[in-house]
Amino acid sequence: MAGSGSAHLRAPEEVLLRVEDLVVEFPAGRGRRVHAVSGVSFDVARGETLGIVGESGCGKSTAARALMQLPAPLGGSIRLDGVELTGLRGETLRRTRRRLQMIFQDPISSLNPRRRVRDIVAEGPRVWGTGEDRVDEMLEAVGLDPATASDRRPHEFSGGQCQRISIARALVLDPEVVICDEPVSALDVSVQAQILSLLEELKKRYGLTLVFIAHDLAVVKNISDRVLVMYLGKTCELASGDTLVRRPAHPYTRALLASVPRSGLDLPPADRLISGEPPSPVTPPSGCRFRTRCPAAAPRCAAEEPLMRRIGPDQWVACHHPQAPTQQGPPVS
Amino acid sequence: MPRRLGWGFWISAAWIALVLGAALAADLLPLPRYDETLVGPPQAGPSLAHPFGTDGLGRDVLSRVVYGARVSLGVGVGAVLLGLLVGAPLGVLAGYRGRATDSVIMAFNDIALAFPSLVFALAVVAFAGASLTNVLIVLGVLGVPAWTRLIRGATLSFAGREFVIAARALGARDRRILLREITPNVAVPAASYAFIGMAIAVVAEGSLAFLGLSVQAPTPTWGGLINEGRAVMDNAPFVVLAPSLVMFLTVLSFNVVGDRLRALTDVRQSGLEPGRRAPALAPAAGSRTTVVERAGDALLQVRDLRTHFVTGRGVVRAVDGVSFTLERGRTLAVVGESGSGKTVLIRSVLGLLPGAGVLRDGEVLLEGRDLTTLPPKELRGVLGTRLATVFQDPMTALNPVRTVGTQVMEPLRVHLGMKRRQARAAAAELLSSVGIPEPARVLRRYPHQLSGGMRQRVTIAMALSCGPDVLFADEPTTALDVTIQDQVLRLIHRQRQEHDMAMVLVSHDLAVVAQWADEVLVMYAGRVVERGPAEALFERTRMPYTEALLRAVPRLADPAHQPLRLLGGRPPDLANPPSGCAFSPRCPYARERCGTEAPPLAEAETPGHLYACWYPELVGREREIDREIDTEGVDTRGR
Repeated sequence: MAGSGSAHLRAPEEVLLRVEDLVVEFPAGRGRRVHAVSGVSFDVARGETLGIVGESGCGKSTAARALMQLPAPLGGSIRLDGVELTGLRGETLRRTRRRLQMIFQDPISSLNPRRRVRDIVAEGPRVWGTGEDRVDEMLEAVGLDPATASDRRPHEFSGGQCQRISIARALVLDPEVVICDEPVSALDVSVQAQILSLLEELKKRYGLTLVFIAHDLAVVKNISDRVLVMYLGKTCELASGDTLVRRPAHPYTRALLASVPRSGLDLPPADRLISGEPPSPVTPPSGCRFRTRCPAAAPRCAAEEPLMRRIGPDQWVACHHPQAPTQQGPPVS
Repeated sequence: MPRRLGWGFWISAAWIALVLGAALAADLLPLPRYDETLVGPPQAGPSLAHPFGTDGLGRDVLSRVVYGARVSLGVGVGAVLLGLLVGAPLGVLAGYRGRATDSVIMAFNDIALAFPSLVFALAVVAFAGASLTNVLIVLGVLGVPAWTRLIRGATLSFAGREFVIAARALGARDRRILLREITPNVAVPAASYAFIGMAIAVVAEGSLAFLGLSVQAPTPTWGGLINEGRAVMDNAPFVVLAPSLVMFLTVLSFNVVGDRLRALTDVRQSGLEPGRRAPALAPAAGSRTTVVERAGDALLQVRDLRTHFVTGRGVVRAVDGVSFTLERGRTLAVVGESGSGKTVLIRSVLGLLPGAGVLRDGEVLLEGRDLTTLPPKELRGVLGTRLATVFQDPMTALNPVRTVGTQVMEPLRVHLGMKRRQARAAAAELLSSVGIPEPARVLRRYPHQLSGGMRQRVTIAMALSCGPDVLFADEPTTALDVTIQDQVLRLIHRQRQEHDMAMVLVSHDLAVVAQWADEVLVMYAGRVVERGPAEALFERTRMPYTEALLRAVPRLADPAHQPLRLLGGRPPDLANPPSGCAFSPRCPYARERCGTEAPPLAEAETPGHLYACWYPELVGREREIDREIDTEGVDTRGR
């Protein structure tokens, strides 16, 4: 179940971003530590979208910030196009990090309330002295009119428009990887659809590679090529969205899917697949971290941590007792 | 901006400007010198020549007050600038760098704050000599710890924001981030505190001068003038009164300006107490609903409810003619985008609206009794007992400094009159009925010690404690994880059945609504645009807005990268709604009539299924066309 391992990683030359054995911990007072991310590995090929899904406290946002070295992780390796990011300091880090950019969940908190839209989007080019030609182009690309939007401040815009400004700011330096941390969670469904479509369109237009983090499985599936499921700082399952939904192998993936109301999937009710509340990341369970809530937990799960292993052409799972991949028909909607 | 500051701010600012201007231009004003004796008869009362009178030596009091302002205000402004100059960099450093830097700076700061400041000032001035420079330095240095703490706090609250992380990701260096991202945000609270700091410094200088420990005579200062005037108070009270009054007004003005500036950064929250009864709206000209509500003995009946807010931009029609009926044992879901009026509708039904600037009309009948006409006291008796609420954020419903036990027991003791022991047992039972393990232990805990899911269970237990007839749940699971959301919704549903309640569920999540609601009410721009039994509404949608909402949501069963149906545009400005159907500017099927004439609610083939659309037969057409294309695609591949 929720475990580590790197059997699901592809050859380094095939991928743009390769994260191996990432560890992030925070002090929790009295000498204790929050084990936020504990040995997580994943990779993203150029032009691909990797979705990361999991509930709050699973470490998905912490992992995203660790990729940016904000703050730097405690351990593990992060390679962007072959360049190791974790050892970089000072100027080299500053130059390399700009190839990764981020979009955040809270449209209000992501934009400086005291700056004008133009200054916000032009910040990147001004830092690097590259000229501001791209600023208007980016504003137009995200669907804002530069003439009317430039001189206004963030509070004059709706949540969806603020998110568009954030996207323009992230893309203005022509990054290779854009990390989207719950970019649509705070938005209404109609606006959510607009932003998802915009991201797909911009991805094609600018050849972006996306890491898309969200708690909503349907949203992640819609935009991603591959989906990684995380639980309490560990990886559970990696598969293409379609495989994950049709043949979920990890008990936690199954519980997540079954919790979605009216999913139209052939799964038992969620309360039979998961029980209780997530344990504290300060004192995570031994072995498989999901075992305390898992209906299939056995003594082995407490003793031995499961590692990611391949169970299908595009499916990897970290579980001692995965659900046998059955050949189900397409889900009924 | 000026309107938000208020007239008090502008009067105060004008007074400060007047005093400051007089002090600076004192030499140019047609005043006698402050130390010129016998410009008039000694101890003479106010006159045209000497508006504040003259003191014991026949000196002009007005002149002395004006020249005194130089020292008093000079010390005020100077001390604040000195404190800011030293304290602000320390505060920014501590707040931005954090960790060890923060700990060291704040440790020194705490020690400095523990010094008895006035005693320290007295000691320094007594030893180093009473001069303007010494007083200014002492008061300035004494202000440093407070400045450090204020600036650190402000910096800290912005340094963790996403826009700072974004600036780092773009490659901005620390200096640039501090200058461009942090400083502009810290400037407003700093400006506010600067004025309050000046007030403090002026008072402190006055106290020192009164004790003779500030600038020495003959240079006048306000405190010194008051001190001197004491001797002649019996014969010439104005000698004391004039400088006292000027000092009082100046300190008051500094505080008012500081307070008003701080209000700029504060977000005011509207209260959730039943306020004064909202003034009634003029009755609507001709009822918009063509379908007559079933009269009779429904549990909850809302008739043509309208809630308008009077704002600076005009009248915002947040709820505009909403009617519904709710029977016992049923769940009514209210859906719509943010700003559609769904939350205002609930608050309006419950009478939980801010008192000022609200106009309300319509009826809310609970078993035939109109709640809108109840006096606040009686309404409070109905809330919590017969009508209960669960909100999105359990932390707003729970008091953070009281234990779960006292909070769950309170309604039991207040409304049901239980004794302590009895209430505790009942509370434990309630908690266990909402699936909280070890209820006796949880009763002794504080809300922050529980997880979000557990907190929401506690608020549900509190809502259920008095056996309500209707449970209002406003986005009860939006802040929770999906697996916890499922548990909580199951729990609410089971409780509704067990207690034979009715429920109003407000949600933006259509999947949640589809699974748990019996009836659905779709709101757009403050009005009901479609309403009816859940199944009919979802299966045979008649209103384009409902259809657009349903299709904007990605579905698990759809293949990856399936393009989503987009609903363009934005919800209308409720202060200035479009003519005709409010949805027409965004509607893919809109025709000429839609822009001119608002459609009434009409009944569809399913009884109780109402919709407001002129062309319901068009809805779903797009979907059929899509399906045909899909089938053709499959066929071609099949061949």
